[in-house]
Amino acid sequence: MRVNPNMVPDILADLQQSQTAVNTSLQEVATGKSVNVPSDNPVAASDMVQNTIETANVDQYTQNVSSTLSMVQTADSSLGSVVTSLTQAISLGTEGANGTNNSTDLQEIATQVQGILQSVVAQANTSYQGTYLFGGTETASTPYTASAASSSGYAYNGNNDTNSVAVGDDMNVQVNLPGSQIFSSSNTDVLGSLSSLVSALQSGNSSQIQTATSGVTTALNYVSQQRVFYGNAVSQMNLQETSLQQETVSLTSQQSNLIDVNEAQAATELSQAETANNAAEAAAAKVLPDTLLNFLVPTQ
Amino acid sequence: MPDLVAMGGLNTSLLIGMQALEVSEGALNATSNNIANSNTPGYTREIPEISETPETVSGGTVTGGGVSLDGLQSVRDELLNLQIQQQTSAQSGADTESSALEQIQTNFASTGNDIASTFSAFSSSLAQLSASPSSTAAQAGVISSGQNLAESFNTAANSLTAEQSAMNTQVTQTVAQINSLTQQIAQLNGQVSQLTAAGQDGGTIEDQRDELVQQLSQLTGISVTQSSDGEVITTGNGTPLVMGSQSYSLQTTTGSNGMQHVLDSNGTDITATLQGGTLGGSIQVRDHVIPSYLTQLNTLASQFASAFNAAQAKGFGSNGNAGQNFFSVPANGAGAAAGITVSITDPSQIAISSDGAAGSNGNVANLSAALTNALPSGQTPSQAYANLVFQVGNDASNASTQSTAIGQNILQLTNQQSSVSGVSIDEETTNLIRYQTAYEAAARIVSTIQQLGTVTLDMGSSQSY
Repeated sequence: MRVNPNMVPDILADLQQSQTAVNTSLQEVATGKSVNVPSDNPVAASDMVQNTIETANVDQYTQNVSSTLSMVQTADSSLGSVVTSLTQAISLGTEGANGTNNSTDLQEIATQVQGILQSVVAQANTSYQGTYLFGGTETASTPYTASAASSSGYAYNGNNDTNSVAVGDDMNVQVNLPGSQIFSSSNTDVLGSLSSLVSALQSGNSSQIQTATSGVTTALNYVSQQRVFYGNAVSQMNLQETSLQQETVSLTSQQSNLIDVNEAQAATELSQAETANNAAEAAAAKVLPDTLLNFLVPTQ
Repeated sequence: MPDLVAMGGLNTSLLIGMQALEVSEGALNATSNNIANSNTPGYTREIPEISETPETVSGGTVTGGGVSLDGLQSVRDELLNLQIQQQTSAQSGADTESSALEQIQTNFASTGNDIASTFSAFSSSLAQLSASPSSTAAQAGVISSGQNLAESFNTAANSLTAEQSAMNTQVTQTVAQINSLTQQIAQLNGQVSQLTAAGQDGGTIEDQRDELVQQLSQLTGISVTQSSDGEVITTGNGTPLVMGSQSYSLQTTTGSNGMQHVLDSNGTDITATLQGGTLGGSIQVRDHVIPSYLTQLNTLASQFASAFNAAQAKGFGSNGNAGQNFFSVPANGAGAAAGITVSITDPSQIAISSDGAAGSNGNVANLSAALTNALPSGQTPSQAYANLVFQVGNDASNASTQSTAIGQNILQLTNQQSSVSGVSIDEETTNLIRYQTAYEAAARIVSTIQQLGTVTLDMGSSQSY
């Protein structure tokens, strides 16, 4: 069979192929990515859509956890102060009920308890970065303001709703209890119990003081129970923070598996491609100029 | 010739020597023409057809009749030509699809402005809103990332439409090129059949025609058959383009969808039947590939907008009003991706609150759920988009793989064709030496005979020596 005398198309195709391999390897090394356009690896490009969205969400969830965590911790420490204040009120009440105080002493104790009531109200009006923590979802207006119409002397301006913050896909953590549930519940009115104690102390009636003091004790237990909610929220969020960190790691490693190049491998491939390309060029340079004419001695 | 033979042995030899000179000249001619055209596209090498002239038997003596040059014969393989034409159509079609898809897929690559990136930014802006419902910065973030998302839908849809109209222009241009080529082919066809009728080799005219048919096969898939009056060329489905020396022009007309339709010479719409070549590739991308992507993008945009608007309607803005539509899409679903916009401008209109209180974030979960819940299509928005990315990437990768594979095929076929028809410089150089030697030897015969003739004429003269 006659041999194809024209090697140019073959050589060109070979050179083009080896040059393409060099370009591909070079691009991978330069960008650090093996998937630059969807056709490089359609499956990986498609999986990356989910990965991109998940990664951004996990970043945001992590930020949500840390910002919410400090808010919940602020609320928790407010309730801690309330517990301390109530404990003080109980000892004051107990002192007032023991019958050894004269009316001046009782008035003084009543003033102290009144001060405790005000500090509890101040805690109930705690705000975090401009939003009130115990007003339900009415976060812009002061939850408790003085009101003559109310038996406790303070009216609740918030509502009974709660907010939940997204800290994961399909995971929302409730981050607040409304003040109406903590401080002025219809079952256990914390503010009311303190103001009753003030009135009882002012009246000087030992049994009334005793009743009012045990009312404050009930309130203390009640607040401690409510405070458990915040403790739970904190530990829930700490757990979630750990799991979000793990998720970030696994998303990053998924991304790396999908589209990142293995540097060592890419560098090796680049040098192999270069060697192959050089060989093809050298072969072309050697073969192309050869014809019989090179070897014919011209006749003079 | 017999009279020359009768004139005697020397004259016969002189005649044979002269014929040999002529034949060698003809052969040298063929060789030099082959060398001259060694790089001419479509050139088929020619070989001199040399045969011996019948010998003469006269009175029991056999005398050789010498040599004659019957003509030059092009060495071609029509079957290989046909295969190359078919593969060329297929490759050119795949190339057209591949280069269009290369451009399309850049819109679906992860660039930061693609739908996946803007969708994820929108999603995380909502998550941020969940933690800081009353922050005006977080609220403004939702509006601006919503606008970015809408714009990336617009950009993707618009660039698909732009590519579609580029393909449409290519259809018109290609049809014009086809018509010009078929006219030239028909003309050459007429010349070839005249030559063939006269018993001659088509030679260079056939080469020219084959080269034009090759070009035609790049433009559209064709089928070539031989008939008594030359080649018959039709499109793949049988619409005649060239019959002998007659060419049939294709026409284009604007269809109801605003796209150019291709009509045959009788006015029948053959757009859907055209395959292969630039024309087939352009029509495939314009009428099938891009519309399929656009439909998916429009479905996604309109279903996602409805789902998000429904979530908006469940809550209240921080201004206390019931949530109104966040996205607006054209009522006609066809332009949803190109026309989607954010219809609210005031952050207080984002339906964050579930109870009407400004500090509530109760409805944010509903808004976020609209991004992760299944749409009426059965897929979540990110799944639907990921599918589209896969499809675009897969189509682009297939078209380019196909083109490479066919390219290998064509290389093989061209090698075969070249091994039959290509000019080998080594071979021609060898032939050159052969014919040169033969020419020198024939010239020696003529000069020897001439000397012998002189000797013979001088035989009667005593002074000769």
